[in-house]
Amino acid sequence: MAKLLIVDDDSGILSALKRSLRREGWNIVLADSPGKALSILDRGSVDLVLSDHKMPGMTGTELLAEVARRSPSTTRMLITGWSAAVSSEEVSEIGIKALIPKPWDDSELKSVLREHLG
Amino acid sequence: MQRVARIALLQSQSPQTGLADAGEPGGFSVSDADRHPQGTLLALSHIGTEVQVLVADDVSECIALARRDDVDLAILDRCDPGAAATFFEAQSALAAPTVVVISESAPESAALDAFRLGAADCVRAAEDYGEVLPLVAMEQIHRWRHHRDREAARSRIEWLEDLNQAIVSEIPVALAVLDESARILEVNPEFCHAFGCTPEMARTRALDDVLPSDLVERGDLARWVSPGAEAMAEAPRLVRTTDGEGRDRVFDIRRRRLGKGGDVLLTLSDVSEAELLSRRVGELERFSEHILRSIDSALVVLDLDGRITYANPMAGQLLGRSEEELKGQPGELFFSAPDGPSQLIARVLQEGVGSPGGEMMLALAEGQRVPIGISCTPLLAEDGKVMGAVAIFQDLSQIKELQRQVLQREKMASIGQLAAGVAHEINNPVGFIHANLAQMAEYLGDLSGYLDAVADLERAISSGESTGVGQAARALKESGQEIDVDYLRKDFASALRESLEGSERIRHIVSDLRDFSHQGGLEMDLADVNQCVDSTANIVLTMMKHSVELRKDYADLPELRCHSMQLKQVFMNLLVNAYQAIEEDTAEGSGQGGIIEISTCQRDGGIEIAISDTGSGIADADLERIFDPFYTTKEVGAGTGLGLSTSYGIVKQHGGEMTATSEAGQGARFTVWLPFERAS
Repeated sequence: MAKLLIVDDDSGILSALKRSLRREGWNIVLADSPGKALSILDRGSVDLVLSDHKMPGMTGTELLAEVARRSPSTTRMLITGWSAAVSSEEVSEIGIKALIPKPWDDSELKSVLREHLG
Repeated sequence: MQRVARIALLQSQSPQTGLADAGEPGGFSVSDADRHPQGTLLALSHIGTEVQVLVADDVSECIALARRDDVDLAILDRCDPGAAATFFEAQSALAAPTVVVISESAPESAALDAFRLGAADCVRAAEDYGEVLPLVAMEQIHRWRHHRDREAARSRIEWLEDLNQAIVSEIPVALAVLDESARILEVNPEFCHAFGCTPEMARTRALDDVLPSDLVERGDLARWVSPGAEAMAEAPRLVRTTDGEGRDRVFDIRRRRLGKGGDVLLTLSDVSEAELLSRRVGELERFSEHILRSIDSALVVLDLDGRITYANPMAGQLLGRSEEELKGQPGELFFSAPDGPSQLIARVLQEGVGSPGGEMMLALAEGQRVPIGISCTPLLAEDGKVMGAVAIFQDLSQIKELQRQVLQREKMASIGQLAAGVAHEINNPVGFIHANLAQMAEYLGDLSGYLDAVADLERAISSGESTGVGQAARALKESGQEIDVDYLRKDFASALRESLEGSERIRHIVSDLRDFSHQGGLEMDLADVNQCVDSTANIVLTMMKHSVELRKDYADLPELRCHSMQLKQVFMNLLVNAYQAIEEDTAEGSGQGGIIEISTCQRDGGIEIAISDTGSGIADADLERIFDPFYTTKEVGAGTGLGLSTSYGIVKQHGGEMTATSEAGQGARFTVWLPFERAS
């Protein structure tokens, strides 16, 4: 079963995303901080990390760059309401596969994720 | 005669005294043969009340009497020849005349001796002596008085001549006496001085040869002074001329006929100085009137009773009355609003010291109020006594409106900076509410299927067919398993609760923003400063909570009279700056987040609000200029450069102080102090 790690400091976002994706048949793991996300990554392989950008302590791009370093095969995606804060250079440099806006469209989100998780 | 005549009489010496001897030369003395030894007083008494006799018993007393101004005659009655000689020696030539009475038996030489000594007349005490002496005495008195009056008249004439001479030579007015053909007879020194001539040069020459020709022409003087000229009493004329150095000289020229002949006295007073002064005064008056009328400020002058004595057109315009209508009106009519300048003006009138004043309110008709900037100075007499006050004021309505617009624009710029952060904050709840709603719609579809199965089961039970019931029960169970009904029930509630929380978050953010962007009025109101700073901090918090820890330390504070919306903007500005300083610090990689500390307390009759941060700090060079308008260290487009200067202006307007302390890399601390009572 594909393993999806969602990172956001807003618990409302985490539970809504989990709720939307429940029936996709993926193993969904939630982390409410970048630190927790990294320790989950360290404990076992993760197929895809979907992270918020604006978080205390570490931004989403910083987290994904770290994910790329620790687990290059993990697909990295960013979901943010502040896309202006992320440059396209950063996106390509870190190898971010998708930049999903907040608020998001459920079906679009699902199709992007399905593309990468099968 | 004007007054009683006074006669000093040296009494005759009695022969019994033995001092006199009839045989002696001189023979003035009483002899044994005298038939009227005491008859002199009696004789004089015949003259009547016109005469008062002052009797002297010895010669020195008689000398003293004869020297008196009011004594008109001295009579030496048959006295000792030595005494007579002593008397005449002491008697000055100018004193009253003396009549000597010699004894009847005296030799003829005695009379001659008397005249030689200085007697005005000599009478022998003979038979007719009683009639002769009064006649002689009266004649001498008359003569003396006549002589004295003439002397007085002469000296009066001399005095008048001297006075005349003095006036003519000392008076700073040029005088010329002209004959009937306008030829100069006499001039005074001032005339010579004024027209550069000597008396000798001037005399006998024609007037127009001596005076500047333009003066004569312009004044038409030749005709004016000629004896044929009519109306000698015609008004004096002012005549202009130009002197050798090109200066304008103005003369006041008058004339007067002297005596019955054709001579005329011409007086020429140089009034150039006075003319110049009066012209300058006129110019100054026009100058100041012009300024008063053209300045863009209203100006009123008030007397000691506070009544308007002058108002310029701008004052008329502002107060809604004509300048004339304002005169005499009490200033109270316009100045007595609670925040009006009445007290200010009263103080200036009382203490005689000017006041820079400040912003106050004018109360106009129909309750209209106009904000003004006013200053007041005392009107002082030369001796320093207060005569009134001058109040100068400007209508600040437009400036206030512009200020309000600038504030609003600045506030909108702050809001712009916040917008991105706030959008992010709103996007999160909108995002999950949206997702949750979609999910709940799906749940509702699932539940409908399940409820259909429930309805089927109910129908089977009521029909009583056991096989049907069993079938329906199985279908229901399958439906429940398919949709995971237990989970669904629980999660539906969660989704609903989380969505409600999310919408509450949005509501809160929007209401804070709306609160902040609200435009404040022109008037102050009472506000809780803690609440102002806290609600502002909450908005800023929405954008900075990820990187900043906010610490609050509020003291219990009384309410403050202030423009609360403006103060919120100051706090917003300081908090956004603090936040940006921390962001900068974080971006440079030298820090991990930061702390903003807000504290309030009471200090020095006011409230102090301190906002400190652990951000990048301010360099010394910038610290000096941070309150200057348009001074910014931010990138182009990141800030207006008006934030701190506007904040500073707002604090100053509240009568407060704003200071900053910082070191580069060590964070910054901004302190705002606001007084409860504004010093005026």
